[in-house]
Amino acid sequence: MAPKVEAIRVDDRGITFRATEDDVVDVRLDGRRVWSFWLQRDSVPEAGGRYVAWPNALRRFLDGVTRLSLVAHVTETTLFDEELTFGTGGDRIAVVNEKGQPLGLDKTNKLMLTFDTRSAEHVAPLLDSLEEVLGVIKEAGIEAFPAYGTLLGAVRAGKLIGHDSDADLGYVSKHSHPVDVIRESFQVQRRITERGYDTYRYSGIAFRIDVLEGDGSKRGLDVFGGFIAAPYGDNPAMLYLMGEVGAPFELEWIYPLGTTVLEGRTLPAPARPEKLLEAMYGPGWKVPDPAYHFTTPRTTYRRLNGWFRGIRVLRNEWERRFSTTRNKLPEDGPSALAQLLVEREGMPELLVDLGAGRGGDSLWFARQGARVRALDFVKQASLAVQKVAGDEQLDLVVKDVNLNSLRSWMSEAIRLAHTPGPKVILARNLIDAQSEVSREATWRLCELALRDGGRLYLEFLRGQRRERTEKALLTPLPVAEIVAELERHGAVIVHQENTHEVKPSGAPGRPLARLVAEWQR
Amino acid sequence: MTDKTGLRKRVARKVANAAGGGIVDELFQRITELEAEVQENRNLNVRVGELVDLVSELMAPVASQDPARIEAALAKFERSL
Repeated sequence: MAPKVEAIRVDDRGITFRATEDDVVDVRLDGRRVWSFWLQRDSVPEAGGRYVAWPNALRRFLDGVTRLSLVAHVTETTLFDEELTFGTGGDRIAVVNEKGQPLGLDKTNKLMLTFDTRSAEHVAPLLDSLEEVLGVIKEAGIEAFPAYGTLLGAVRAGKLIGHDSDADLGYVSKHSHPVDVIRESFQVQRRITERGYDTYRYSGIAFRIDVLEGDGSKRGLDVFGGFIAAPYGDNPAMLYLMGEVGAPFELEWIYPLGTTVLEGRTLPAPARPEKLLEAMYGPGWKVPDPAYHFTTPRTTYRRLNGWFRGIRVLRNEWERRFSTTRNKLPEDGPSALAQLLVEREGMPELLVDLGAGRGGDSLWFARQGARVRALDFVKQASLAVQKVAGDEQLDLVVKDVNLNSLRSWMSEAIRLAHTPGPKVILARNLIDAQSEVSREATWRLCELALRDGGRLYLEFLRGQRRERTEKALLTPLPVAEIVAELERHGAVIVHQENTHEVKPSGAPGRPLARLVAEWQR
Repeated sequence: MTDKTGLRKRVARKVANAAGGGIVDELFQRITELEAEVQENRNLNVRVGELVDLVSELMAPVASQDPARIEAALAKFERSL
């Protein structure tokens, strides 16, 4: 039955109405869904009724004329339908991307190319990729199946869900201990990369496989691992599936796999898909909800976090930070730390720029004739420098090294330890950008790489720690603590200075510390 | 949690804590510590998984001391990270 909604008013701020029940409502502009919200969950009380603000992602489009309708999603009952003008514009409002393709908000309120506006011809490449990846994973020894929204759409209606924008895959390991499940995931990823695919790891049991589609564009499909934890005492066996599921479960509800049909293609599916869908979306999974929010229990969230996550700490934040500058060449020349290094060492034969960021110092050293390894966990940050280095045929290698991941930093440390000749490590604004665990890895990498000679040049914001925020990703560190940590790791501090950043005006900026350390045998 | 239930819980905690000579605050503190310790333990899974994978894939080539074999093993390993 349609919800009873009265006194609906729509303006530049948002939507006000009176309703006592909760239900999910689509907002359509000129007949096309762009957003969905829950009447109670997503609104706040205002002037005797309820008020829901326009989501930020939509706000910038709301300047012009449109036929706005509010439609109850499940019953498709129209609750409101009027020609409206927003802002001062006179044109029809078009929620589209730069290519003119229609966008809608997905369940996380991100603007996406949702499936409801895409034709069969448009979704065919995605389905091809899905089948290809299922085949590749199977060759690697794992029987995967469509998961989350992709499984939901297939089982509920044989179609991709209109308000969804991507496809997910899942599998359930035969192992029952997190360590074994993690190792298996590493092995599967390795077999897949051996077949030539690019991959990207999210956590101990989730990664993405990149597939090239017919037009040369790249599509990433996420593969979520899971496992069944054995029962103990009165507690039942539990399925834990990255990234939201923790529910009593039996392995025979998954394997041997059955089939499901998605957009006319027959794909593998759990033996009892309804059991997995209930574990994912609760008993109401059959009722469509374009504004669905996972209500993952705290215990499940803590378990998945504790067992499998932690190798991406602060990575998303730095990816966002560098996303606007990655195509711009850094212009400020060698840093004061780079100059100090050259004053003390001369031009190094091998320079390791640890936490290279946009790569300004790396480029400068390479141009002076040094062999440079620029290491960062956001390799894309130095795209502009990588292009110039290629054009100028410089000896500059940019590599993705993640100090949160033992496999990543340890393999780099092994490589450096086996590289003959003197080497110098430059780490500017690295340790003040790191978590404690990642800083510990930095010291161990330096210790391994420099134990046969060479020095570490370190520069960081000094002072009392403060809480890290998205705007202030660097946090000052007490110099005495850092010196003590280095000494505990066998380093000898051969130079120490307290100084300040220099603002463009020449005035002193934030307090800095510079340290030079070596590992004497 | 609504403001009212939140307030009720805070008052109840204060009263119980005062009656119990501070035991409620102490238990809350111990729960926080226990939760942190449980997560520390859980975090070992990724560490051990990574370490075992690294040793399985790289120990033999590195022990060989053959630079070409070490480089080939590192390149293959790093591509899969």
